[in-house]
Amino acid sequence: MNEFYIAILSLIALLGVISVYFKKSPFDKLIGLAIMMGGVIPLIVIKGYLDVAILVAIIMPLTTIFILQATGRNTDES
Amino acid sequence: MNPELILGFIILLAGVAATAFPRERDYISRLIHVEIAATGLMLVMLAYNETIALLTFVAVTAIATIVLIRVIERGEPCD
Amino acid sequence: MIYDAAMIPTYICGIVAVYAVIRILTEKKTLKKLVFLNVMNFAITGLIVLSIPDIMVLLAGIAYFVGSTLEANAIASTYAGGVANE
Repeated sequence: MNEFYIAILSLIALLGVISVYFKKSPFDKLIGLAIMMGGVIPLIVIKGYLDVAILVAIIMPLTTIFILQATGRNTDES
Repeated sequence: MNPELILGFIILLAGVAATAFPRERDYISRLIHVEIAATGLMLVMLAYNETIALLTFVAVTAIATIVLIRVIERGEPCD
Repeated sequence: MIYDAAMIPTYICGIVAVYAVIRILTEKKTLKKLVFLNVMNFAITGLIVLSIPDIMVLLAGIAYFVGSTLEANAIASTYAGGVANE
């Protein structure tokens, strides 16, 4: 059971890192960051740190929204 | 060895290499690659049994990202 | 792999997650990637909840589901032009 989790989650995290590096648009990079976090958070859960997992899951969209604030495409503003 | 430790080292090295040599020279791209390196370091710290250090590291990484975003927004555009 | 009837939901969630990640990597348009990002979030939430027999894991699953759905919809809203654009 544990080997299945380790294999699947490691594959998802490494594919997320590859997807962040080889895409050009910042939105595609943020999607790859979401994939990588989706691979990392269940690894924290099966290690037993539930409070760390809850804190990471709350902080992850907050930093993504703050990055989106800088890379937002302002079409007809100003 | 511990599988989280090996995966953490692989992600940490990939993030540091991607931060040093990005594909396009942009501040936002480099900042997202720094996030990858921070996630790898978090996985390395997960292999040792220190809960308070892990909580503090996650919170301080988020605060540092917010501060860097503020610096990038009001700085001059990159080369 | 050893056949076990109690492990079938876990296998289904893992296969769905890997399929969604492969579809995200081989997709061209950004708005079609976000659909499969939501699929991957559902599958990962299932993997979290089915992982260890503890009651606190439900709270972690709820936190991850709310956070990741908010993140994906924030990316989609910013890509489509923002709120003030209409």
